[in-house]
Amino acid sequence: MASMLATTSPDMEPEDGRVVNQEAITKIREAWIFKQLSQRQSEFTNFSSINLLCCTWNVNAKKLDFDTPNLMSSWLFPPANGDVLPDIVAVGFQEIVDLNAVNVAVDSKAKQRSELWQEQIHKTLNTKTSYTLVSEVHLVGMLLCVYVKNTHIAKVSNVHSATVGVGVMGVMGNKGGVSVRMQFYDSSVCFVCSHFAAHRENVAGRNADFASILNKTSFEIGKEAVQEAVRAGSVSQWASGSSAVGLKDHDFVFWLGDLNYRIDETLSTDEVFVKSNNMEIETLRAHDQLNIERFNNNVFEGFEEGVLKFAPTYKYQPNTDLYECRPDKKLRAPAWCDRVLWHSQNPAHVQQKNYLRSELNISDHKPVMATFNTQVKNIIAAKRQEVYAEVMRTLDKFENQSLPKVDLNKIDVNFGELYYENKASESILVTNSGKVVAHFRLVPKLEDEGLCKDWISVSPTFGMLIPGESMTINFSINLDNKTAQQLNQGRESLDDIIILRLENGRDHYLTVSGTYARSCFGMSLRDLVVIGEPVRDLPLEPKARAEFEKKHPPASLSVPKELWRIVDAINEKGLHEKDLFLTPGFAAEVKQIRECLDTSSDFGLFHVHSMCEALVSFLSSLSEPLVPSSLFPTLEIDQQNIMPWSRRFLEVLPPIHYNCFVYIISFLREVLLFSNSNGLTAQKLARVCSNCMIQSDGGGKNDRSRSMALIFLHFLTTNSI
Amino acid sequence: MSVRHFKLVLLGDTAVGKSCLVVRFVRDEFFEFQEPTIGAAFLTQSVQLDSSVVKFEIWDTAGQERYRSLAPMYYRGASAAIVVFDLSNKDSYNGAKSWVKELMRRGDPNVVIALAGNKADLPPSQRKVETEEAAAYAEENNILYLETSAKNASNVKNLFVEIAKKLPTATAQQERNDTFTIAPAKTEKKNCC
Repeated sequence: MASMLATTSPDMEPEDGRVVNQEAITKIREAWIFKQLSQRQSEFTNFSSINLLCCTWNVNAKKLDFDTPNLMSSWLFPPANGDVLPDIVAVGFQEIVDLNAVNVAVDSKAKQRSELWQEQIHKTLNTKTSYTLVSEVHLVGMLLCVYVKNTHIAKVSNVHSATVGVGVMGVMGNKGGVSVRMQFYDSSVCFVCSHFAAHRENVAGRNADFASILNKTSFEIGKEAVQEAVRAGSVSQWASGSSAVGLKDHDFVFWLGDLNYRIDETLSTDEVFVKSNNMEIETLRAHDQLNIERFNNNVFEGFEEGVLKFAPTYKYQPNTDLYECRPDKKLRAPAWCDRVLWHSQNPAHVQQKNYLRSELNISDHKPVMATFNTQVKNIIAAKRQEVYAEVMRTLDKFENQSLPKVDLNKIDVNFGELYYENKASESILVTNSGKVVAHFRLVPKLEDEGLCKDWISVSPTFGMLIPGESMTINFSINLDNKTAQQLNQGRESLDDIIILRLENGRDHYLTVSGTYARSCFGMSLRDLVVIGEPVRDLPLEPKARAEFEKKHPPASLSVPKELWRIVDAINEKGLHEKDLFLTPGFAAEVKQIRECLDTSSDFGLFHVHSMCEALVSFLSSLSEPLVPSSLFPTLEIDQQNIMPWSRRFLEVLPPIHYNCFVYIISFLREVLLFSNSNGLTAQKLARVCSNCMIQSDGGGKNDRSRSMALIFLHFLTTNSI
Repeated sequence: MSVRHFKLVLLGDTAVGKSCLVVRFVRDEFFEFQEPTIGAAFLTQSVQLDSSVVKFEIWDTAGQERYRSLAPMYYRGASAAIVVFDLSNKDSYNGAKSWVKELMRRGDPNVVIALAGNKADLPPSQRKVETEEAAAYAEENNILYLETSAKNASNVKNLFVEIAKKLPTATAQQERNDTFTIAPAKTEKKNCC
């Protein structure tokens, strides 16, 4: 059966259709880290060899004659072990009291008996060297005591015990298991003492008791202790965050007790008696129910047991070494009821030294002992941290390498000198130089709404590149009149930063810049009349400008020199040209004329229509129109009021505007003198004035601007100026 | 084995060694002529503490003045910030102080700030900022102060470890508890009895 990766959060499906579960990714990643560490455990772990003794005895509610010396000692210090004293001793009993209804329900007798046994064990063990009782746990007839040699006691931690009853009603303690777990150095060790269901035919009951105890035993050791066990590699990282561990979440499990498995019924009771008495151990072993059930994987899966070389330990006639076969007693075929098994996460770390029985004879069972040599972990924290850091470094390295990466052939787009109404394009080549698909997009800066300034347009603003693939990002700029005006007013500068963001990666800054080659177009009359020098020479930057003005004191021209030059140039060409002001000029020529105005250089060759267009567009480009809309008549103009309104208009026009207005109207009246050849009329020229002297406030020509046009007409047709 | 993630931003004037510190920390390399960062570089690196791992998501920002106004994009939401200055450059120290001020005013209220006096490998004759002065300033503002050298690696890892130690554990702890509640194999067995 496959166990699914458990996550508390559901998969997310963002719009791109990919399914993402960050929690699952994190878990899988941590599993990988755990695996790396497990594989390298030997680099940061020292193993110490530890001797361990497990004893089990169903005492049939009897007490040993504690006054007779050496009885306890012969059991707890098997002569086979010589002078070697175990570092850990686990002693398990069954039936310290009769399993009658009273004892099952009331603890007092069991408690008293368990104290008695403890006292005797403690006394016996301490005749050789100092041992400390680490934990004691009992349930009705079952008692488990775990001792540790004093020299190791500082290395014992997280000691917990548990009891599970599987007897009457499936819960009572007449049958079941008691267990003690502890951390010993950096290994976790667990002991289980159990008493399974009796009777020769009840194999299934015993198997069920095992499963029940295995699944129900749980130790609440706390999250920190679980975390420590994870770090020690004793439990998998999946246990992280849990506060409990089960039996198999230990490096070592020693399971001892009266497991009650018998010799199966293919051998008759008589045969078993004979073979037991004749020590035909090998034959009997083949019929041992536990061996058969384990072979068939019905019980104690993953556990090991030493080979049985001693005679069956049950059922004896108390105080004798004879199997019970008195006629007045229930006849029981001898059996190996009393056993010791173990489970080790690393099988090489447990070695059984011996598996014996004692000949103490107060009970109908003989005691059984098993001595082990185990390798316990001693983690060198500093070394472990080194290995961990190395694993993380490797992981970080790959994760950093798998970040998207692009190369840009340049990050500065410098357009150099930019002219009025200049349009230009540049591009950047983006190449995916990484190992993964790169998604890029341009993002606004901070709280900005747009990606860049209005005079820049970028395309495309996003894209995806597979490794090695390239894409061109185009940057176009358009220095329109609005931008020129803002540049002249110091409200805009020709530089911007555009952020190119790689999804799951870094940001690149792209700089777009240029220098404004100043033009008289887009300026105000007020600014123009104080400039005697070419406009181009006038710095935009305030400091440089102040410096410039020191050397060149402001002029005070009555009209801008540029206006004068245009009018003069048209005059020079002659005013008889047909459809003057109505025929469009040549764009290149208009551009050239503008450049000559800005640099105060000679116009060279040009068509008069181009110069007329230059005049119209110069006036239209002014940052403040020649005739401000605030000065438009507020009443409808008719023959009665046109004179006073016109007069009033001239009075309120600001002086420089007045000069220019009078200058232009005078010039246009002169143009009308040639109406025979140029075919112009006052109406036509009034329309020209409306086109370049006033700026509609977006809403097209309204009544007031129509009134203004009448005033233009009035000035053109009368001698009012 | 839980890993806690934190966003960390490096701030400071140009050419004080922000990128060098990151490169030393992440790749254990050093380049005498590290190119200026035009943009914000992104890298990740883990730091192991006694009982947990802190994974930093590092934003290494551009130090040049023209990009300064973009810094909030990176310190916004950052749990930790390293403000770097060059021990041999008094202006960069003053710059660092203004970065600290900006962080305190506009950064996350709980941001863990470390002031790093970098280029500690330079001979004492080139030093323009005294340890006492910077340490006193740091103490006054309740931030960390370490003198580092990306060049000879001294104190670089320590800088990140010290920050990691000061980062909160509570929320991350909560997250871990919520996330890893069961050992899958065990649960299965529990369900069938």
